[in-house]
Amino acid sequence: MEPKIRIDNIQVVYPGRGRTGPVEAVGGVSLDVADGELVCVVGPSGCGKTTLLRVLADLEQPTSGQITLRRDNPARPLKATVFQGGGIFPWMTVEQNVAYGLQLQGVSPAQRIATARHWIGEIGLERFAHAYPTQLSGGMQQRVGLARAFAFDAEVLLMDEPFGALDAQTRLLLQQTLLQQWERSSKTVMFVTHSIEEALTLGDRVCVMSARPGRLLHEVQVPFARPRDAVALRTDARFSALFAEIWGVLRTEVDRARADEVGA
Amino acid sequence: MNRNRWLSLLSPLVLLGLWELAVQIGWINRIFLPPPSEVFHTLSELIATGQIFRDTGISLLRVGLGFLLGGIPAIVVGLFMGVSPVVRALVQPLAAAIYPIPKIALLPLIIVTLGLGETSKIATIAVSVFFLVVLNVAASVLQVDPRYFEVARSFGARRRDLFWTVALPGSLPGIMNSIKLGMGFALTLIVGVEFVGADSGIGWLIWQAYELYAIDRMIAGLVVVALVGWLITVGLDELEYVLVPWQASSVRIKERRVREHVRIWWTTIRPWSYTAAMIPVLLGASIAAYDGAINWWLLLLTMIGSVAIQLGTNLINEYYDDRKGIDKVQVFGIGGAIQRGELAAWQVLLAGLLAFAVGSGIGLYLVSVTGPFIFWLGVFSVATGFFYTAGPFALAYVGLGELAVFIFMGPVIVIGSYYVQAETITLPVVLASLPVGFLVAAILHANNLRDLDIDRQFGKRTLATLLGRSGANIEYYVLVGGTYVSLIVTVALGVMPWLTLITLVTLPAAVRLMRIVAVETEPHALQPVLRQTAKLHMRFGSLLIFGWVAAWLMGSFGYI
Ligand SMILES: Nc1ncnc2c1ncn2[C@@H]1O[C@H](COP(=O)(O)OP(=O)(O)O)[C@@H](O)[C@H]1O
Ligand SMILES: [Mg+2]
Repeated sequence: MEPKIRIDNIQVVYPGRGRTGPVEAVGGVSLDVADGELVCVVGPSGCGKTTLLRVLADLEQPTSGQITLRRDNPARPLKATVFQGGGIFPWMTVEQNVAYGLQLQGVSPAQRIATARHWIGEIGLERFAHAYPTQLSGGMQQRVGLARAFAFDAEVLLMDEPFGALDAQTRLLLQQTLLQQWERSSKTVMFVTHSIEEALTLGDRVCVMSARPGRLLHEVQVPFARPRDAVALRTDARFSALFAEIWGVLRTEVDRARADEVGA
Repeated sequence: MNRNRWLSLLSPLVLLGLWELAVQIGWINRIFLPPPSEVFHTLSELIATGQIFRDTGISLLRVGLGFLLGGIPAIVVGLFMGVSPVVRALVQPLAAAIYPIPKIALLPLIIVTLGLGETSKIATIAVSVFFLVVLNVAASVLQVDPRYFEVARSFGARRRDLFWTVALPGSLPGIMNSIKLGMGFALTLIVGVEFVGADSGIGWLIWQAYELYAIDRMIAGLVVVALVGWLITVGLDELEYVLVPWQASSVRIKERRVREHVRIWWTTIRPWSYTAAMIPVLLGASIAAYDGAINWWLLLLTMIGSVAIQLGTNLINEYYDDRKGIDKVQVFGIGGAIQRGELAAWQVLLAGLLAFAVGSGIGLYLVSVTGPFIFWLGVFSVATGFFYTAGPFALAYVGLGELAVFIFMGPVIVIGSYYVQAETITLPVVLASLPVGFLVAAILHANNLRDLDIDRQFGKRTLATLLGRSGANIEYYVLVGGTYVSLIVTVALGVMPWLTLITLVTLPAAVRLMRIVAVETEPHALQPVLRQTAKLHMRFGSLLIFGWVAAWLMGSFGYI
């Protein structure tokens, strides 16, 4: 079967400005994601994860290479993005933010508010439905961004470190929520994170990226059965083995990225 | 209020005091710099003649029209500049080139093309506001974080959606700022514009004062300009709160506190009780009109004065009720802000005294216009108001409340208001005021009737507690019945025009109220009686005034 997402040798070079030369953020990445698969991408910071996701979201033109996202249901939106940090609008209340995608699709106010309410409940912000983002903490804002993407109910979900600013407990809870939602729906998910544990907990597959320019270095099939329990997994012996395997690859890359930053 | 705020009030007051002192001692020549008291006097004259309202009104009209004509297109064009590079390329260089020209320098050019009339003044404001606002609005659109446009696009926003859901709301805080800037600019400008070739407006007033070397008038004009500017700023802040509710700065929190304050004061001054103070004033004036004397300006002043005295009475009442621990159990809580800890007792007292001061000030002015009779009436009114709950013989607590209210809110105000207009008293006026006096006393009595058991428990002596339940019921019938009896008798005597009998349409409502009083003793059942009696007073009073005014108009058209 055709993959849902095909990333074909994508390269992104940011033109330099002034004294800084051009930056090659993504250096030729190829990756196929099957329909309904949840792929996690880990890599040292600054390796081009966000850039890759932006290409998938059509917000960035690749310098070379091609991407294809297959649309299966013309009635549903093709993709929804969870932005790093949430990216929610300060001028809208939590409810308006969550309903935003539906509003653009022309869903009736009553219906989109009902949907928004449901998702606000899922992320545990009922009390803040009518609050403005300035009244929320960074973690709460991230959750709103998450609810907005869920409410949009697209075929493909692109998530950029969605749980980055959350405390450990909330993070666990929301990982559970994501697992449940994903197992129930048939979404294809591209999940970017810098946490190996998170990648192993959530993913069917974990792709490890190199330091800049980002390339795919290594790939791990995650063997845990579904439905998964984010907490119980941690005690599985295979979990630590896989963790060690990925960390082994990543460590040299993190060192390289550091050396790069110091040298630059 | 915290101490720093009081300190910030103190320094201007000290400065004013020193200024006054310096002039009075003779350190400063009063010809060059008149003292605050003289400026205040001049200001009160400008108010009394109504000139300040006329000139301020005209200036505000010019500013308002100029602002709308310049500001609204500026916001639209600015938004277009912000979202469209093409429009930006077309407009930006032109706007940027004209923007730094001091707009007052354009005035001669505008006068040459448009003449000296209103058009040139409004146009100057409009042009200046336009260039200021257009550039600021364009800049605020460009300042919207581009990430928000990406977010919107990732959810499928089209161009139109980008504008309405991102560009416009994202730049609203900036637009609001431009409006504030533009308004401040327009206010500065109007004064300058009116210096040249105007024959009205606040700028003209100042300039004319300069030409006459009337420095007191100049300063009075400046005070008004400052005051108007401040009021507009407050209004725009309020608008910002409505338009940009997501801006969570400390300013907003402060504003919310101000709002809360307004609410507390609003309930404390009992705004619904003022019809009782206004109806007798209007009645007196309408009788005077019937007798051929009406001065609208004096009527307005009398109204304000009467409301101020009523306000002072309410506040002092609140203060002493708290002092004497009377309202501890507030079943139907109007007021009670001191007991709830919302206001400090001294704040209420101060505000009450201030209201009395305003009332007395207006009273003194009326005295200076009409003679000493009003003075004694005023002294009597203030004394009644103050001793209603204050002092050792608090009228309300020795069963004299109804009598005091009857006299003060009935004959005294009606006669006073009539005297201000006609400068005489006639027997018909005294008689005509009786029905209103009866009814206003009935309102107070309805209150005491409702609270009878509680008052007795707490030892508050009202006429109702002194008379007991059945006696108090009879008192209610007497007061309400007296209203209609005195009405019919005075009409029968030919003192009041027969048209005032139109008030009899309220009789069924009055009977209904007496029936309720006859059978009910529970506070909750008597609560509607209080409200309905107040309403009856208002309806009866309005119809009575209507009767007099109708008779006056028919008389002046020769039908009677
Ligand atoms: N708009 C841009 N212009 C120039 N350089 C950029 C831009 N965006 C990102 N970069 C650079 O590209 C590299 C990859 O960035 P990013 O994709 O955000 O990394 P990650 O999300 O993995 O931390 C970084 O070195 C960053 O500095
Ligand atoms: Mg990133």
